[in-house]
Amino acid sequence: MSKQISRLVIVGGGTAGWLSAGVIAAEHAISQNANQEHGDQQDNHFQLTLIESPDIKTIGVGEGTWPSMRTTLNKMGLSETDFIRECTASFKQGTEFSGWTTGDNDNYTHPFTAPQSYNETNLAPHWQALNGRPRFDQAVSQQSALFADSRAPKQITTPEYAGTVNYGYHLDAGKFAEFLRKHCVEKLGVKHIKANVTAVNSAKNGDIASVTTDSSGDIDGDLFIDCSGFKALLLGEHYKIPLRSKKQFLFNDTALAVQVPYTNPDDPIASCTLSTAQTAGWIWDIGLPSRRGTGHVYSSAHNSQENATAELLRYIERTAGAQAAAAAEPRKINFDPGHRAEFWHKNCVAIGMSAGFIEPLEASALILVELSSNMIAEQLPANREMMDIVAKRFNDKFLYRWDRIIDFLKLHYILNRRHDQYWRDHLDPSTIPDSLQELIALWKYQGPWHRDTNHIDEMFPSASFQYVLYGMNFETEPSTTTRRSDQVGREAATALFQKNAKQRLELQAAMPTNRQLIEKINTYGLQKI
Amino acid sequence: MSKYSLLSQSEHAKLRVITERGAAYGDNQMHAMTFPFEFRDIESNYPIFFGKEGESGQFYPLALFGFQREENLYLNGNHWDATYIPLMVKRNPFLIGFQQSPDVENGEKRPVVSINTESPRISETETEAKSEALFNDDGEPSEYLQKSMQNLQTIHRGHEQNKLFIAALLENDLLEGFNLDITLKDSSNNRLEGFYTINEEKLAALQPEVLGKFHEQGFLQAIYMAVASVSRVSALIAKKNASLD
Repeated sequence: MSKQISRLVIVGGGTAGWLSAGVIAAEHAISQNANQEHGDQQDNHFQLTLIESPDIKTIGVGEGTWPSMRTTLNKMGLSETDFIRECTASFKQGTEFSGWTTGDNDNYTHPFTAPQSYNETNLAPHWQALNGRPRFDQAVSQQSALFADSRAPKQITTPEYAGTVNYGYHLDAGKFAEFLRKHCVEKLGVKHIKANVTAVNSAKNGDIASVTTDSSGDIDGDLFIDCSGFKALLLGEHYKIPLRSKKQFLFNDTALAVQVPYTNPDDPIASCTLSTAQTAGWIWDIGLPSRRGTGHVYSSAHNSQENATAELLRYIERTAGAQAAAAAEPRKINFDPGHRAEFWHKNCVAIGMSAGFIEPLEASALILVELSSNMIAEQLPANREMMDIVAKRFNDKFLYRWDRIIDFLKLHYILNRRHDQYWRDHLDPSTIPDSLQELIALWKYQGPWHRDTNHIDEMFPSASFQYVLYGMNFETEPSTTTRRSDQVGREAATALFQKNAKQRLELQAAMPTNRQLIEKINTYGLQKI
Repeated sequence: MSKYSLLSQSEHAKLRVITERGAAYGDNQMHAMTFPFEFRDIESNYPIFFGKEGESGQFYPLALFGFQREENLYLNGNHWDATYIPLMVKRNPFLIGFQQSPDVENGEKRPVVSINTESPRISETETEAKSEALFNDDGEPSEYLQKSMQNLQTIHRGHEQNKLFIAALLENDLLEGFNLDITLKDSSNNRLEGFYTINEEKLAALQPEVLGKFHEQGFLQAIYMAVASVSRVSALIAKKNASLD
């Protein structure tokens, strides 16, 4: 009989490591040898060990999540109240893009909640036919009504993890890793070893048999999860799986990150990640209750560090004052945008930056950690023979997902009418993946809606494409045939636009600001029901 | 309108409080907070559910009077048709507040009585038949005021009791949300939502130790009173149907 897979070893203890540990341990009960729990079967030998270097600091980027993080945390048995309090988290309801279309005070948002009555009616063609065409996000989404006043997606009476509108989080990545660590070790039974990995030891079949550490000896395992960050200790350094650069599509390869204090402690906490286009990249701005996290991600081929720094400091000065700009000392992070040629090789799978990294435009970092660890948890191979089959499926799925991420990120760049070289280079067809060129050609005649997705678990729903396309004033030609469904739909569409306008006002009136809600959560906590 | 000020003989000597019931006095409320110690009286009249306080999201037990905002099916003109009126209704126009005594640093907060001087119950001219004086001619608190102050003290203890009661219920997952769909005799469909009730399955499955603890805390009876009170809903529906005539 083939060897059972019962000992998992995670190498690396940043957000990726601890989040993976939590997701897997939430699904697979860890054997409690010392403390035989009720219902723990005699033959349960499942163990999960996480080796964390005491010397390596976490990078601490990836401070935005998708709404899926609510399910992830809930499934791990974490309280949302504790999470908000301990990770100084706030609510993220989407992204606001400024300057991406013309650079002349243009902006649009991509809210997490799908357009009004999206399952039944596609409002986009009706919106295109409206006189004086209002902003797409404002015409079809009720959620975007909350952004101007930095309002929350729920009330203090709303139970944990439930929302009036859809939301994810902004969080402090360092605190988040610590929060997860505590839960994994104290509640889920994950074994935590603080040591540096000094050698990787192979088995005869080429698998990793164990890793040698400087202070805890050899750690054996059946499956090794590489969460060692850019270093990719196992998949990269040991197995030499190459990184496939995607710089030809997405030019950004440098980030300057800096934390910015609020001018007043009661300044509003933004409901969206703010993304402001610059001459050769963009600035992210993530509002936490205690501070903002900002950074400039740009293409080193198009911009100098001096100029990029100057642009970032100007942004900070404009949004937080001269004093904050003077005090800012941005930290530089270089990265090669792209991903490994495969993610699961032999008995080693990479999650997080060891698997790949791309500019944080749609917060793809943490969602990929969630999706990867969920698939491992769900499809954990029963034995070594099954592992190669699961590995192949995993690689197919995540190569596909990376391609979709690249298409979707690139979409944000190819509808611009800016004049800078960087933005014009993005329009060059040789920098656009064929798959995206096809989609854009198609969307000129039929806009994205439900029929547009190939897989049931696509990373980006068609609504996301709508928000970006029509947010940037993309034109879809009216249908060449008289569609009976549209004729019937016209009156219904008018009613839906009115309904949306009414719901926007109701929502604005009912929701507290993010800061009000977070203060209440700090005082009273959210109820579980 | 509400404007609460500390009750004082010098300022409020001439005030009278109208004691009759009526929508004009704010009695047209859909529900009111209640406390375990009055559950026996509440249960024989009203359904006891649990709601969330809007400002804090904290749970509290309530007596239900109607199915929609400003609907009190027990209110019949100037008459409240029940054998018991909840303390939180009777307390009006008074409120219990707390004041740090100025002479003791970090001393315990002292309960003080406030009065809503803009309450429609307040009058200086109302007759003795329909109202009560706050102070006697000699400036001493009237019997009515003394009784009201006692009620406030009881309410104050009730708030403390509710906190413990709710914590015990939540700790044992005994609260659950529910929707009540009601078809009235005019065939209209109505839904009551946003309230919570005791989860009887979870209650039935409680371990003896937990039940023993509830008993010691005096919550066991309250829990079963709340469970029993749910049958009052049919009486409430009957009142609603009668109001459609």
